Amino acid sequence: MNFEAILEHHLLDHAYLPLFKTGGVTLSLTKHLVMMWIVGGIALILLSVAARSRSQAGLLLRTAIEAMVLYIRDTVLRPIFGHATERYLPYFLTLFFFILIANLAGLVPYGSTVTGNISVTFALAGCTFMLIQVAGIREQGLVHYIQHFVPSGLPAWLVPLIALIEIMGLFAKCIALCIRLFANMIAGHIVSLAFLSLIFVFGQMSPYVGLGVAPAAVGLALFVYALDVLVSFLQAYIFTTLTALFVGAAVHPH
Amino acid sequence: MDKLLNPDTGLIIWTIVTFLALVFILKKMAWGPLLAAIEEREGRIKADLDAAESARAQAERLKQELDSQMNALEARSRERLAEAAREGDALRAKLKTAAEDDARKIREKTMSELDEEKQRLVKELRQEVASLSVMAAEKLIRKSVDDSVQKDVLESFFSDLERQGKHN
Repeated sequence: MNFEAILEHHLLDHAYLPLFKTGGVTLSLTKHLVMMWIVGGIALILLSVAARSRSQAGLLLRTAIEAMVLYIRDTVLRPIFGHATERYLPYFLTLFFFILIANLAGLVPYGSTVTGNISVTFALAGCTFMLIQVAGIREQGLVHYIQHFVPSGLPAWLVPLIALIEIMGLFAKCIALCIRLFANMIAGHIVSLAFLSLIFVFGQMSPYVGLGVAPAAVGLALFVYALDVLVSFLQAYIFTTLTALFVGAAVHPH
Repeated sequence: MDKLLNPDTGLIIWTIVTFLALVFILKKMAWGPLLAAIEEREGRIKADLDAAESARAQAERLKQELDSQMNALEARSRERLAEAAREGDALRAKLKTAAEDDARKIREKTMSELDEEKQRLVKELRQEVASLSVMAAEKLIRKSVDDSVQKDVLESFFSDLERQGKHN
């Protein structure tokens, strides 16, 4: 058996058909794009229903979502943004729930993990990068933002060096965001697949050995799956919190 | 497996478009109503809390007021009691001195009356004695002594008696 082919089939994106083609860029309809739209649709329906529903079941959903919303607002954003919290709240809430639902959708059979695709996490980190600039310029003003890009009170000859380091740090932060989410989400799936592949690896030696290994392999895969549920929440929270921290640092430079 | 780490520009653009669209749609569809509801509820809770707090403060103030009134009443009643006791004491002392005065006056009056009575009795007795003596002497010396001599003798006798009485 070819483990690499299995991983490629399960973890990589597959283009179904190219939609537009301009220059060197092809905007194709792919597996992950479809999944991402499904995730967006689920988020839209779930959150809209939760926001409006007055029924018993809707109330349950609403309570769960409200708890997360309040946590993000009061514990994550409020200490960083203070009075400006309401302005940035929709972005961060959308970020959190988009990542969370995408992570969890990857754990559903026939689903695929959108956030386990580096293009997606790169794009999300790119949005964070853009938000850092936009929020920094909006709250401080362009001149002030550029002035405070380098900490004040430095010797003049150090300024270019520190500016370079700051710019690299800014990119490093966003690339770290991108890699962290991607690696965390794909790692669980790789490990799950590896455990399940063990059954077939041993099964090639003898069907009985394969059967003997199966319970342990399935148990471990199940454990990793459960861990993945935890990691889904954790990574959504971490991505949101770190984005908030970076944006907050740009909004209040001191 | 190189593809795992190679970002695909097309998907990056799709993701940014999808995500930003989701941000704007959710802002209108979900977060607006949800956050408005949360804020309304929080405002209500805060108003309730404020009302409860102000009611509590008012109750506290009322209690303090009543306490101070109570204290003032107590102090006043204590004062009244003390005053009454003082007045009672003063009255008693006054009555006592008055009674003592009266008693002394009565005693003095009685004494003086007794004295007068005594004087009167002494005087009466003396006159009685004198007249008895005179009668006795008359009877004794009627014939031998005339009235003027008699009178002289008696005068000197009585003055002697008087002197003696004063001596005693």
